[in-house]
Amino acid sequence: MTNPYEVLGVSPSASDEEIKKAYRELAKKYHPDNYAGSPLADVAEQKMKEVNEAYDEINRMRQKGKGTGSSSSSQTSGSYSSNGSTSQFYSVRIYIQRNMIQEAEQILDSTPEGNRTAEWHYLKGMCAFRKGWSEQANSYFTTACNMDPNNPEYRAAFNNMHGQQTYNYGGYNTGGSTYNNASGCSCCDICTAMICADCMCDCCRAGC
Amino acid sequence: MVFGYLQVQKSELLVREFDAYKAVYCGLCKQIGKDYSFLTRLSLSYDATFYTMILMSLEKSCTGFKGGRCKFNPLKKCKFAKCKSDSYSKAAAFSVITAYYKLIDDKKDSGFFKRLLTGIIKPFFGHWRKKAKKLYPELDEAVAKMMDAQFEVEQDSSSGIDAAAHPTAEMLGTVLSFEGSDDTQKRVLYEFGYHIGRWVYLMDAADDLEKDKKHNCFNPFLNVETDDLAQYQTSVLNQSLARAYDAYNLLELIDFKGILDNMMLYGFPSKQNTVVYRLQEEEDDKSV
Repeated sequence: MTNPYEVLGVSPSASDEEIKKAYRELAKKYHPDNYAGSPLADVAEQKMKEVNEAYDEINRMRQKGKGTGSSSSSQTSGSYSSNGSTSQFYSVRIYIQRNMIQEAEQILDSTPEGNRTAEWHYLKGMCAFRKGWSEQANSYFTTACNMDPNNPEYRAAFNNMHGQQTYNYGGYNTGGSTYNNASGCSCCDICTAMICADCMCDCCRAGC
Repeated sequence: MVFGYLQVQKSELLVREFDAYKAVYCGLCKQIGKDYSFLTRLSLSYDATFYTMILMSLEKSCTGFKGGRCKFNPLKKCKFAKCKSDSYSKAAAFSVITAYYKLIDDKKDSGFFKRLLTGIIKPFFGHWRKKAKKLYPELDEAVAKMMDAQFEVEQDSSSGIDAAAHPTAEMLGTVLSFEGSDDTQKRVLYEFGYHIGRWVYLMDAADDLEKDKKHNCFNPFLNVETDDLAQYQTSVLNQSLARAYDAYNLLELIDFKGILDNMMLYGFPSKQNTVVYRLQEEEDDKSV
């Protein structure tokens, strides 16, 4: 098994505080929100899993004997693939999940004009996004949101796009735009909230 | 790829990082001179330097630095980054190949004197490119495919942003994915290269917009209907960088990490601002 300290990139003599900080940074980096719809989502998920396991492992080793009793409550959000089973485009979703974009697009393109629902636009957007055609994805997601404004799945994809359009990872102001934030700061808010929630979970997780 | 957008933000680099960056740049220059000719060194670019650093970082092949003198300016002392794999010669081949294809491309749409000049140097580059092709046939194939696809896309003046950027993006994605050690890493490298390539193409398109408008050349931004073009360009470019950065994080590079981080987070965005804002200034000038 790999050394959990190596996974987190800290020395075994690091303080609890340092470990928590390293963990948070990695968790932020590999957060599923960053990779929603991306062809690399599974790679990021795997990395996230390794980081979580390493962090748990270190905590287990360090907490041994201290005896905290709270149980683990790792909150994995399944919102990205949850509501597909009843949809008319079930097979398309499966294809997208398996990264078989051509097959997915074939089905979508053969859908008659009249059946092109909000979900159809959303899935077309997902296909375009996987291919890296972000502009096309953007317009499909926008249409999907306009057709069905209350659907959280479409909204999440739309917000994800706008989050990327600001690219403020490095804290570098890439233009000082108001346009990019036109949809409200909701994406950032959600992100921050999730990171916070994640950290809260971690506090309890220590004893598992 | 001879665009020069893939630069560092010097003010944000540590001094030792800047030295290392220069050492790779000089090392590549030396290699191009050695493998091809003194003249070919002119095809050296920041983009190829970026490519070299990614290769060296992936293979962990940089073994240190050694001193020497610059061939162009013998009075100047400089350092060269040592490398135990073929990263340099691969990057040198890549520079020469892209320079050659760019030359052909330029010849199609430029004025008389430039055509004459490219006509004179083209046979030389043709010879060097043949040599590079022999060493790395897969690089030449990827770039040749890009040129064909690009030509096709530009025949249709209504081509959108995504379609127009696809050939360059795919080329860089493919070229980088060669370096992956397993399927997962190949996929990550493809995604990283795809979005860097897309960004470079769109930067070039944004940069050339005025010129292309004047000469009635193809430019994907000419088809865009928006009130605020600079803002639109910023959001499109940002998105490519964001997706490239997400892929970059999954690579977990260690060598040159400081420099590469600097490029991803400061160098590219600041270059992007320069290009996009200059456009905006020109637009403002006209309205006055």
